[in-house]
Amino acid sequence: MPPLLEVRDLVKYFPVYSRGIFRKKIIGNVHAVDHISFTVNERETVGLVGESGCGKTTTGKLILYLEKPSSGQIFFEGKEIVQTFSKGSKEEQMKLRRSMQMVFQNPYASLDPRMTVYDIISEPFKIHKHVPSSEWKERVYKLLEMVGLEPYHAERYPHEFSGGQRQRICIARALAVEPKFIIADEPVSSLDVSIRAQILNLIMELQERLGMSYLYISHDLSSVRQISQRVIVMYLGEIVEHAPTEKLFDRPVHPYTKALMSAVPIPDPKRKMNIIVLPGEVPSPINPPPGCRFHPRCQYADSKCKEEKPVLSEVDIDHFVSCHYWHKFV
Amino acid sequence: MNLRRRSDKETKERGASQWAVAWRRFKKHRSGLVGLGMIMVLLVIAAFHNVIAPYPARPHPDAFKPLYEGESAQPPSWKHPFGTTVMGTDVFSEVIHGSIYTIYVAVTVTLISMALSVAVGIVSGYFGRLVDDVLMRVTEVFLVFPSLLFILLFSRIYQLGVAEPFWDVFGIKIPVGLTIVVIIVSIFGWASYARVIRGEVLRMKECEFIQAAKSLGASSRWIMLRHIFPNILPQVIVLGTLTMASAVLVEAAVSFLGFGDPNTITWGRLMEESLQDLSTVWWAEVFPGLAVFLTVLAFNLVGDGLSDALNPRLRE
Repeated sequence: MPPLLEVRDLVKYFPVYSRGIFRKKIIGNVHAVDHISFTVNERETVGLVGESGCGKTTTGKLILYLEKPSSGQIFFEGKEIVQTFSKGSKEEQMKLRRSMQMVFQNPYASLDPRMTVYDIISEPFKIHKHVPSSEWKERVYKLLEMVGLEPYHAERYPHEFSGGQRQRICIARALAVEPKFIIADEPVSSLDVSIRAQILNLIMELQERLGMSYLYISHDLSSVRQISQRVIVMYLGEIVEHAPTEKLFDRPVHPYTKALMSAVPIPDPKRKMNIIVLPGEVPSPINPPPGCRFHPRCQYADSKCKEEKPVLSEVDIDHFVSCHYWHKFV
Repeated sequence: MNLRRRSDKETKERGASQWAVAWRRFKKHRSGLVGLGMIMVLLVIAAFHNVIAPYPARPHPDAFKPLYEGESAQPPSWKHPFGTTVMGTDVFSEVIHGSIYTIYVAVTVTLISMALSVAVGIVSGYFGRLVDDVLMRVTEVFLVFPSLLFILLFSRIYQLGVAEPFWDVFGIKIPVGLTIVVIIVSIFGWASYARVIRGEVLRMKECEFIQAAKSLGASSRWIMLRHIFPNILPQVIVLGTLTMASAVLVEAAVSFLGFGDPNTITWGRLMEESLQDLSTVWWAEVFPGLAVFLTVLAFNLVGDGLSDALNPRLRE
């Protein structure tokens, strides 16, 4: 079965300008996303992890064409997204918009403060006109119920809700177009720990009921482990490791993934944690290091890592690692 | 502390819109309320100026004698609260009749310059790139003009071409010359506001709810009208109130310098007419000036109160 979403060699550079009097000159590029490829299957949740600034959110925005990719291709149900949005017809674009949605990181900024919840959730109906206006009310109530809110909440404004409730409203709005694929960009990272589990459960429950696929973007490894079937680890705009969840958490191969895993807190005071502390800082994405991007912080790096770029190689079934010395770490 | 639980009925009521919240906060702003009260008084005076004023308006600006009692240069008294001019006109009546023009100038200048600045600010901020570059250069041209000089120049040029003093629009007499002044003042007044609004739009454009609307497939027009405009409206209202104050002031200055509409007797013109008699008939100068001062003050107080009430960063 072909995958629902396929990302091929996706690149996004943000140009950095010098401020001139007459003409702006490009003095460099932020390598936000650098040649990444992956797939998402139907009814699957893929986790995308990495530290701040590694290009996770940009990847999500590129898939939704909220940012224009510098190069590369994205196929959704066999249709190329970049082509469709730059050259395709309005109907095709709207069809794609209906099949993919995003839930954003900050529920305090992702709802229009001047609109009632009813207006927010019915906005997709007004844009796509896929529901006759006589049914809007009923549909909004149904969506609210689906995300665990009450019908009377429809008449309220966003500022009257808590963070968790707002995230539920965001999910309801995303569901209003009946999408097949939802990008969840750190949906729980700005919520209280006690609320996180509720929202994660809601996300998983909705997947079971409606059969959607998710790209779950997060830096919180424990939530990624809970929700996703496969995990992609990104570092400085590149994929360093890509594996089914269990394999990745049980036997991480890449030194960066190992360091990440060692930092996950274990809720057991008796167990001693061996945290691998990475030396130095994340290098600037404007001038990423040559060779393996991780080499300045990697304790195993040698001259080969400094010069030669590693490629993703399959170290186990469905387990890909981008490291020259992966056989040492398996 | 109020520990009473909200009843079910209360929770099910429609939520308080941000306008209701802003009004609740404005009601606590004392100087804002004073300003609002002063504007109300001005509106009542303007609406009933023919009833309130003890003497009728001059039928023509140069016709002094027929309707006035000829008591020239009288100091303020019960009969003439603001005194009379050398020509024998009652300053109190003239100020009251002039209020209608003040309102006209304040409202129209604000509508025109706000419409311009909102349109330019939103389009420039939202589209960015080349559109932004072009529009901002145009805006800067208007910003660096010595605007008062140009207002005086253009007022004089266009006033000469006025054939009839008033347009009759549904029975309301619209002074043509004053309208020309209004348009010129608006054209030279919108630029700085456009920059403020553009800044707001730039900030808002990155908000996730705009991104969400885009990912829903909303068009640029939809986003600008349904999301950006309602969200900058509070700032537009505050800027608009302050524009009213400056419009009154600029119009008074133009008339005072003798470049105003020769067919309407505005407060600025009243001051200009009696300037040469300042040493003896000071009241003919002070009271129209006071009217301008109080009006500008009132609009500024309301603007201040509104900006506090509408500012989301200040909590009750």
